[in-house]
Amino acid sequence: MTGLVQRLIPEFEVWKRRYPAGFEGSLSIPALRRIQEERGYIADEDIADLTAYLGVPRTQIDEVVAFYTQFTRKPLGTHHIQVCHNVSCSMRGAEGLVKHLSARLGIKPGETTTDGQFTLTTVECLASCGTAPMMMVGDAFFENLTPATVDALLTELTGSA
Amino acid sequence: MSTVATELSGTKFFMNFPVTDTSHTLAEYRTRFGYQALEKALREMSPTDVTKEVAAAGLLGHGGAAFPAGRKWGVVKLGDGEPHYVCMNADEGEPGTFKDRWLMECVPHMALEGLIIGSYALQGRHAFIYIRGEFDLAYRRMAEAIEEAYAAGLLGENILGTEYSLDVVLYRGAGSYVCGEASAMLASLEGKKGWPRNRPPRLTVKGLYQKPTVVNNVETLANVPVILRLGAVEFKKVGTPKSPGTQMISISGHIAKPGVYEVEYGYSWTKFIYEDCGGMQNGKALKCIIPGGVSTKILNASEIEGVTLDHNSAVAAGSQLGSGGMMAVAEGTCMVRLAQVIQRFYHHESCGQCTPCREGMGWMERILNRIVAGGGRPEDIDRLYQISQANDGTTICSLGDSAGYACSAIMDHYREEFEYYITHKRSMYDGNLTVEDPFASALVGVAS
Amino acid sequence: MSETAVASVTVKKMLDFAIDGVAMQAEDGQTVIQAARANGVNIPHFCWHPQLSVPGNCRICMVEIEQESGDPWFDIACNMPVTAGMHVLTNTEMIKTLRQDTMQFITLNHPVDCGICNKSGECMLQDYHYELNGAASRSRDPKTHATKFFPLSDRIMLDNERCIMCTLCVRFTNEVSGSKALGAVNRGDHALIRPAEDADFNLDVYSDNVIDLCPVGALLSTELLDHARVWYLESTRSVCPGCERGCSIDVWHRKHEWRLSALDPQMNTRIDRVTPHENPEVNGLWVCNKARDLAHLFERPRAEQAMQRGVAADLAVAMTTAAQLIGTARKPVAIVSSWGSNEELSAFHAAFGAKVPGFVKADHLPIAGEIIEDHLLIKPDKNPNRKAALALYPALPERVSDARSDALPADTDLVLVWGEGFDSALIPAGAKVIRLNSYAHADNAGADVFIPISVQTERSGHYTNFAGVVTAFTACFPVKPSIAHAEAVFAALAAGLTAELSA
Repeated sequence: MTGLVQRLIPEFEVWKRRYPAGFEGSLSIPALRRIQEERGYIADEDIADLTAYLGVPRTQIDEVVAFYTQFTRKPLGTHHIQVCHNVSCSMRGAEGLVKHLSARLGIKPGETTTDGQFTLTTVECLASCGTAPMMMVGDAFFENLTPATVDALLTELTGSA
Repeated sequence: MSTVATELSGTKFFMNFPVTDTSHTLAEYRTRFGYQALEKALREMSPTDVTKEVAAAGLLGHGGAAFPAGRKWGVVKLGDGEPHYVCMNADEGEPGTFKDRWLMECVPHMALEGLIIGSYALQGRHAFIYIRGEFDLAYRRMAEAIEEAYAAGLLGENILGTEYSLDVVLYRGAGSYVCGEASAMLASLEGKKGWPRNRPPRLTVKGLYQKPTVVNNVETLANVPVILRLGAVEFKKVGTPKSPGTQMISISGHIAKPGVYEVEYGYSWTKFIYEDCGGMQNGKALKCIIPGGVSTKILNASEIEGVTLDHNSAVAAGSQLGSGGMMAVAEGTCMVRLAQVIQRFYHHESCGQCTPCREGMGWMERILNRIVAGGGRPEDIDRLYQISQANDGTTICSLGDSAGYACSAIMDHYREEFEYYITHKRSMYDGNLTVEDPFASALVGVAS
Repeated sequence: MSETAVASVTVKKMLDFAIDGVAMQAEDGQTVIQAARANGVNIPHFCWHPQLSVPGNCRICMVEIEQESGDPWFDIACNMPVTAGMHVLTNTEMIKTLRQDTMQFITLNHPVDCGICNKSGECMLQDYHYELNGAASRSRDPKTHATKFFPLSDRIMLDNERCIMCTLCVRFTNEVSGSKALGAVNRGDHALIRPAEDADFNLDVYSDNVIDLCPVGALLSTELLDHARVWYLESTRSVCPGCERGCSIDVWHRKHEWRLSALDPQMNTRIDRVTPHENPEVNGLWVCNKARDLAHLFERPRAEQAMQRGVAADLAVAMTTAAQLIGTARKPVAIVSSWGSNEELSAFHAAFGAKVPGFVKADHLPIAGEIIEDHLLIKPDKNPNRKAALALYPALPERVSDARSDALPADTDLVLVWGEGFDSALIPAGAKVIRLNSYAHADNAGADVFIPISVQTERSGHYTNFAGVVTAFTACFPVKPSIAHAEAVFAALAAGLTAELSA
């Protein structure tokens, strides 16, 4: 998908209208999110093209992509499962949830299934402590999880791939 | 998203209506005094009048620091020829905290109205909402609210036909707890990595793109229309003299009824825990409370006896109300493992800029990991204290300090568990973190 | 500055304050560390630099502020504005503890491989360890690891384990060189300095300044890796001849007591490295990479043997022959070196004066790809002393085409070429040629007389830069007996000139 940034520029130009003048550099993070939405990850050419479009130093984009956990330079599985393992979630079964998922998917946190369907990662607090244990799959939150609901979800996701 | 019934006694500013699939919309918000405060501000009050009213109401920040909002606004010099920016901090990353999420999902217009009023008070032409990247429904509801506001002439050029114009940018973060720190948030808003900044200069002098900026929490701004509608005098009748108004509390952990609650400041802490929130799961005894996010010091069950939920009382009891992210820990929980989970979090989120935090967070996690793995040494406890002390007041932002306070407070209260783990190379409580674990079967056969 | 301008200079507001009980003054707006430095008090620091922005990340510059309430207040001195009446304490027990804690943190995952680190002996981490920490690490956990040899550019090696994330290198590229080629990626203790991924840093001609800036051994010259231990070296102040700015430099070489006869003699007379010498009038704190590479320039194969038409000759014999040739020439012309020092030029002018017409040449022209001029230091003329030479003689006319130019009159019967960069094709047919050159060159053997002359490092002198600033350089190497100092020989060469010759 070459020229992705070029294709998205009209959208970026619309966003710019609500920003004050001189805030072009601010578009880096929203633009990167949009790029990743399209491509699934951020490619080298995207960083080069975005640098040129925004007129910011190349290092600013390199740093942003490396600093924020939601950006990835490599493609992930079709479904990115992010399990919170912070305090409240751990107090309501997050560790078991991770083990359960590992067992079901055959991968450890940080890995992707060989068929490219699922990537499993552990993440910090997602502000869903009241409905722990929980996880994000893509953009969506799945809360108050039990082995049954997790298995049902995995079946549904596998089927929908 | 769990929304608990509003049976808890006391005045409610936010959780005072039945939440439905449409109660967050502009139309329904209008049936609950929506945007009347904005009308009053724009038509009847000058910008300084608004700031004075907020100051008179004694509104304290709800992001964790409890800094008087009116005083923060008052620092910005109107008419200095500089652009002023009000930024709503919706990054909500403090573990245990999920009340801003509730506000944005259920009453996004209250927060938005507060942002518009605040921008008017500070004569800002652009305002920003920095929302953490992981939020989905909260983001969509906030985005909808903004578009509804534009369509209704509540945002954009000539709001409500007055001379005041304002554009709002809803800016999504991308996964970084430290971006909840005000200066890191602004760095992120500038499209850069979230590295906090030293003060001076204060953000109200040089903030976003080096312009005067006020950063306020979602809940703080959501209080503003309430204050303007009721007036400062009426507002102050709620809560306590030093902590006027209400506090949104998100409670989780081993509590029987986790969720978001709204308490009037001054509410009895024990009543809240044992009656309103149903005590611990399975009738267990309360071991300790993390009052307001992991960055606040724990208090054990006896230490909250007779303490009310307000800032002064919490401080007097040896902790803080912080972000209102309360976590209840039941008897039988291994505090060493809890400390490990907490420290793993701080290590993951340290931005890496300053020496004590960059090195200290990893050091603390490695020590705790080693203790948990059975390799603890007698000097480890002192070492953890030392690292905590060396991060106290020495860092660019309070991430380092918070990690130190959290760990020290746990060790202050439960030193014997750490000593036991080190001596016996195992936990006093089998490494247990749960009361009810839906995934207990997955852990069978796994060494703790 | 005219008299009238003096009246408009604002008097700076001064504040009275004290450091460790000693009363002193600060300019209003200065930070504690700036005011301390101005008063000769050094507060320990890694990340602070007087000419770069303040990141306040190392935390070692903590100071205590005395309060009437008694409760101590401490904060970093680099970001603390001085207020009137402030009492700064730099050495209380609390500050000593804080500094020791900071040193413990900085060295926590530092490899402490001083034994194999080039920075050893001039490393701030070593110095502060002894001064402020002096204790073994309190950690009993394995150190974390990171990349040991990362090529930041072709010239600079980065060791991420030694790096303390002070960001001096990043700020330099953002604020001084403008290449913005460096950044800090990742979070926490995984943070790494990295170049922009399109390898910009190779294009930054000021890149090597970060090697000096780095307080530890994280940024090292790839070429000079393991080249020499700094305690065997000393520096001599000199001037970079790379362009007409004439940046002040320090030329590093073996200390006299370490010039061992047992060693390869070349090691005793080589330039081990070049660093900037601070000169507010000329180059400030920086030099460009051309100065760093001066060893390559100076250590090109030398001409060490006098010759007469390519046949080795005794220096004295060659001198005599040259003087005879000059004395009998009817239309001699001199081609003057733009690398000659002020002293050499004076001697040349005193010797040949108006008797021999002279033209100043550019000994060096920009090489392909070399920056001609920039916003910082680099100037178009790649010769150090053309301005001083042109004060005495006109410039050699530009060649109009590749064909033999008529810059020199066709009836010229002797050309005295001093220095490099003069094409023999410009010499009119039949003219005698005397060449004075430091470096081996094919044209040397073609001259009627060739006299090898010394280079800048073998003598002392001055250059005048493009703005008229005169800067001195000092000799640091001995000159071989077979090589002459040009300044000393001009008078002898001109001895045969009579007053009958017209200009």
